[in-house]
Amino acid sequence: MSSPLSPTVFVVDDYAAGRRSISRLLRAAGFAVTAFASAKEFLAQYDPETRGCLVLDLAMPEISGLDLQGILAGKGSLLPIIFLTAHGDIPKSVQAMKHGASDFLIKPVNDEDLLAAVRVAIEKDSALRRERAEISEIHTRLATLTPREREVLEYVVAGKLNKQIAGELGTVEQTVKIHRAHVMQKMKVQSVAELVRLTQRCGIGGSVQ
Amino acid sequence: MSWITALWSMNAAACLTFAGFYFVVWCRQRQNLVYLFFSCSATAAAAISAFELWMLNSKTVEQYEQLIRWIHVPTFVLTLSFLAFVRLYLHAGRVWLAWSICGLRALVLILNFIFAVSINFTAITNIRQFSWGGQLVSVPVGTRSPWGLLSSVSLLLLLIFSVDATITVWRRGDRRRALLIGGSMIFGAILAWHVPLVIWGILEVPFFLGFTYTAIVAVMGYELSTDVARAAGLARELEITQKRLNLAADSADLGMWMWDVPRDEIWITDKGRALFGFGATEKLDLNRFKNVLHPEDRQRVLDALENTLRTGADYEAEYRIMLPEGHLRWIAGRGQVEFDRDGQPVRLRGAAFDITNRKQAELEAARHRNEMAHLSRVTTLGELSGSLAHELNRPLGAILSNAQAAQRMLANGGVDVAEFREILNDIISENKHAAEVIRRLRLWLQKGEVEQHSLRINKVVRDVLKLIRTDLISQNVSIDTELARSLPTVTGDPVQLQQVLVNLVVNACDAMAECGTRERRLCIRTALENDGGEVIVSVIDQGGGIQEREVERVFEPFFTTKAKGMGLGLSVCRTIIAAHRGKLWAANNAERGATFHFTLPKDAPAKSRTDNGR
Repeated sequence: MSSPLSPTVFVVDDYAAGRRSISRLLRAAGFAVTAFASAKEFLAQYDPETRGCLVLDLAMPEISGLDLQGILAGKGSLLPIIFLTAHGDIPKSVQAMKHGASDFLIKPVNDEDLLAAVRVAIEKDSALRRERAEISEIHTRLATLTPREREVLEYVVAGKLNKQIAGELGTVEQTVKIHRAHVMQKMKVQSVAELVRLTQRCGIGGSVQ
Repeated sequence: MSWITALWSMNAAACLTFAGFYFVVWCRQRQNLVYLFFSCSATAAAAISAFELWMLNSKTVEQYEQLIRWIHVPTFVLTLSFLAFVRLYLHAGRVWLAWSICGLRALVLILNFIFAVSINFTAITNIRQFSWGGQLVSVPVGTRSPWGLLSSVSLLLLLIFSVDATITVWRRGDRRRALLIGGSMIFGAILAWHVPLVIWGILEVPFFLGFTYTAIVAVMGYELSTDVARAAGLARELEITQKRLNLAADSADLGMWMWDVPRDEIWITDKGRALFGFGATEKLDLNRFKNVLHPEDRQRVLDALENTLRTGADYEAEYRIMLPEGHLRWIAGRGQVEFDRDGQPVRLRGAAFDITNRKQAELEAARHRNEMAHLSRVTTLGELSGSLAHELNRPLGAILSNAQAAQRMLANGGVDVAEFREILNDIISENKHAAEVIRRLRLWLQKGEVEQHSLRINKVVRDVLKLIRTDLISQNVSIDTELARSLPTVTGDPVQLQQVLVNLVVNACDAMAECGTRERRLCIRTALENDGGEVIVSVIDQGGGIQEREVERVFEPFFTTKAKGMGLGLSVCRTIIAAHRGKLWAANNAERGATFHFTLPKDAPAKSRTDNGR
């Protein structure tokens, strides 16, 4: 049912009737759904590559919803989580939101609210995945740079002029110009502003003054 | 008139007077047969005196023959009633001896009428007259019968009987009676020997058998008069005691009563009549008593009475009566039963007193306790609101989502009948589930009368676990239950008992949360205790335990170690368990944590059904 291409909504709830009803609703709204009766079952089958979101019951025996959130975070999972609970006390909802929950809904939940939350979460998941893909692309491009070019890049994004860079590196301005052109070409950017945006996204820059 | 005639007549008159007097006494106290026998013997003695007087003045042989024959009838009566009297009055004398004498006298009487002329003579030939004390008296002359010996033997046995009875009384320590009655008896029995001696012609005296008994009559008269005097004294004392008792009973507002069981008559003091609202002169019986009883208490009181009459156990009952003005009055009745020799109940005596004030205070206290318990339940509900919201919202959520899913499916156009059926099934079962939660909630919050009935404690434990399941989950507490199978039932209010358990479990969870125990395990155990007389429930936690000096203090009102607790939970629990005639206490575990135990007495066997672990 779930493929890496179409987003899947994972439902984890120990309460069978609740699990079935939410799954039905989501399916009727056109989502692919996979349901689990416990966090353990979910973890056993979960593939981080699968796109989608997680609709998670807060109060479950053994591994609770909050526990599962922690476990997933520990695994570096980006799967957005919508907490769905029959009773949410304030400390628990705060804790859930602090740890990055996408939403926190109280049963009985209106279909529109749930579907909206699911759509937002899936959107968020797509955005996150896109961003992650971009960053990984930038890293790939960065990896093609020679150490000298990398040094030049650092000075360029720090806003240094070619002459200043040549002074810092102990070379002539013409050489810096060639390196700079290589950097712009390898990083597939047209302007310095664009280069700065890329490097900022993967946390490079600011290491030289 | 000759002095002999005067003396014999006086003797007869004296005997008859005593006989008449004691006959009247016997008529009043029929159960005291001793008076009747004494009266009989005195009458017989009077008759003998009359016969003797006649004989002494007899002039013809024919007349003498008739008299000497018929005098054996009063002699027989005298002997028999005398023996019976001695047995009853002195409780002495050998029974076999008495029966032998009776048999012998009966034989003498029969032979006396079979053989001519009498047992003593085969023929009387002449009447000899001689002067005695200046008076002419007649004695018989004739052929003596050998059967006359039988009469002498019976006389001898009578003497032995008298001596034996006297010795018995003497040994018993009642020396005055031994001397007076025994002495006069022996004296009489010796004097009676003049009869054979006169018949054998050895002695020349007139017959005076009637006088031999006079001594006994005189002594008995004296004895019985002292009895009468003593009885009068006792009656006076009794009256004083009775007055004193009545005074005490009246000032204590006691109504003294007595129920004559075979006659079904109830006697009751004036105070008692006022207590029950009976008329001052109204005749009372069980039915009248039954009618004033409150219908709800009637059967219980009758059962208690029935039980007392059957087993002899003390009667004890507390019940309501309906007064004529429509008021109710609470009465406590106590009584003891008396049985006759056949083990049949004869009478039930007792006292009744007004306990309306005490009962009202008790009911008031119970009302307070129940209100307190209710308040505490409402408070606990606040703490359990998470659980409740959860329990209700889960099924409601499932219903809503199912219904909305169905709507969407309809809108999508593709209707899968199987799926729809499942959806509707789920909706129905979830609806029932929610209704059940609400029912439990209403029960928990209801403030009505406490309902005591026979219940199984294991079911109470399971109901409580259902109620607080979510809280336990959200607090990461796992519960072990060790519920004993085949527990007897106990009597109680299920909601109040649930309340106690909820309190104990919530406390245990709090204790474990406070001390940050990693493994939060809670054990609820049920078992039989005290030789099977009680059911014990234990809630065992793994928390930090209770400081030793606070093991009792935790049950005091407003004592709390929690930041947000009121400190009423455990004190209310203790009053609830006490009202169920049980005990609630706490103790620290050997390893870690504390255990709260409570006991409940098991139902009486008739009421009890066995709990098959269900």
